[in-house]
Amino acid sequence: MKIDLKNLTIQKAHDHMLKGDFSSTDLVKAYRDEIAKKNPDINAYLEVFDDALESAKKADENFAKGAEISVLTGIPFAIKDNILIKGHIASASSKMLVDYHATYDATVIAKLKKEGAVFLGRVNMDEFAMGGSTENSAYGVTKNPIDTTRVAGGSSGGSAAAVAMDGVLCALGSDTGGSIRQPASFCGVVGLKPTYGSVSRYGVMAMGSSLDQIGPIAKTVDDCEIIFNAIKGQDIKDGTTISEETYAKDLVGGKSSNKNSAGKKSADKKPVIGVPRDFLGGDGIDPAVMQAFNKSLETLKSKGYEIRDVKLPNISYSLLAYYIIMPAEVSSNMARFDGVKYGLHSDGKTGIDDYFETRRAGLGREVIRRILLGTYVLSSGYYDAYYNRANAVRRMITDDFKKAFETVDVIATPTAPSPAFTIGSKTSDPMAMYLEDIFTVTANLTGMPALSVPCGVAPADSSKDRKVDLPIGLQLTARHGDEATLFYVGKELETK
Amino acid sequence: MITTKELEKLATLARIKLTEEDKTSLVKEFDSILGYIDQLKKVDVSLDSASRVGDVKNVARLDVIDLDEAGHVDARERLLDEAPDREGDFIAVKKIL
Repeated sequence: MKIDLKNLTIQKAHDHMLKGDFSSTDLVKAYRDEIAKKNPDINAYLEVFDDALESAKKADENFAKGAEISVLTGIPFAIKDNILIKGHIASASSKMLVDYHATYDATVIAKLKKEGAVFLGRVNMDEFAMGGSTENSAYGVTKNPIDTTRVAGGSSGGSAAAVAMDGVLCALGSDTGGSIRQPASFCGVVGLKPTYGSVSRYGVMAMGSSLDQIGPIAKTVDDCEIIFNAIKGQDIKDGTTISEETYAKDLVGGKSSNKNSAGKKSADKKPVIGVPRDFLGGDGIDPAVMQAFNKSLETLKSKGYEIRDVKLPNISYSLLAYYIIMPAEVSSNMARFDGVKYGLHSDGKTGIDDYFETRRAGLGREVIRRILLGTYVLSSGYYDAYYNRANAVRRMITDDFKKAFETVDVIATPTAPSPAFTIGSKTSDPMAMYLEDIFTVTANLTGMPALSVPCGVAPADSSKDRKVDLPIGLQLTARHGDEATLFYVGKELETK
Repeated sequence: MITTKELEKLATLARIKLTEEDKTSLVKEFDSILGYIDQLKKVDVSLDSASRVGDVKNVARLDVIDLDEAGHVDARERLLDEAPDREGDFIAVKKIL
């Protein structure tokens, strides 16, 4: 049968493969045809793996035998280029790792392999995940499949674009300050940043260790849920991972765990949605974004959801704290690239010159900028003024959210202040690019899970140079460990 | 807000070679970024010890080596192969003394 890639989901693909309508091999070939047609322009994929058909064949054999099948068996994935797959290049879109072959599997990869998933290829990103547009890739920008004059977002721009262009069914990305959710929003797909510690980072290149999480990008909330359930779990190889029980005691899972206004606990009530209105009045937010956002809230209201205003007094400091803590951690994590153990080596006169030459030759502009900024905020004399202060503010913001979650179950904001912007429009001003992260960084600072779901479009408008309708994402944040509520409300948003 | 000399110091600490051109643009960009993050100094915070660390706890694990199917140290050869310069079972670097 002809495969309808546009409307395919994991469950549908699984059912078709079970029935024998098409095989994993057919599916991989169909995606490869799309990639061959679209990727030369979009540049989502850095490499399509030769061994994908081999894995697909293995999945097909398992289907034939009826053995060892899971819902992910034979399902094609695109993998962000900072996640290690043994034997394959993992370059983090940096010249520093142009020929680096992963020496082991990341835990998420090992888990997906066990399910029989197929890795179609590795996809583009901002170098070492630093950026919000994939323009910082050493291998060229990833264009937005909906409007190729615009960015796909970042840093997981390749992951989102690959899914949006029907170049793969689903993808893995990483999210340090919005790098899964913002590109998902720009490309009209769904992205999840799980609770800090719920997914092992063993085998993902560290950027900001107290902020990074791996998560799925896919076409539906249901697909993201399936992937999340497959990759989550405590891992001895990542000491920050949490157990199922860590937050479980506080949660009811998909239902409201709050007392209603009369003070009665009503476990069968729909989750209560909180909106931080004070934070959404800024003129930096595109009116089309607020329009789509408010319309979605109306939809939820008409479905019987209660929407409450919430106060998050310190949320406006999130971006400040983030742009101190993140570079501080970047400067320390990037120190490992020294031209000695692996990766690029550029020769200097002496041993110490080798470091200077290698890092100059291998690292791009934004990475160098953040390393230097991190080195600055961690310098003796500045440490208290910046790093310690930022950590204290981070704590205050987390407390604000915890307090808000005493009266609501999810907090809704737009995912990004604007729809996808045009390529090159923010590259000359790093500060303008940083402001893109305004709504997303809080979930990384607090460690709470957040989901971006398409919620409407910014309509085509020649006066604003919008040639086509551009997707807009709505972000839901929940309590630590409460992905279930995100999926529940996210699915409601999908069925309008 | 930051001088070229201070920037050079940071680049030395971070082991990154900068050209004159880099320095000019970085000083400018630093001004705009530091101008923004300096707003944090106005926030009223208590810098007690509790605020300095997160909720993370130390996790220890047994120091065991992953072996492959044949009983060899799984990643050893592959790790050594990734080194830019290898001599036998050693990673080669320039003489430092």
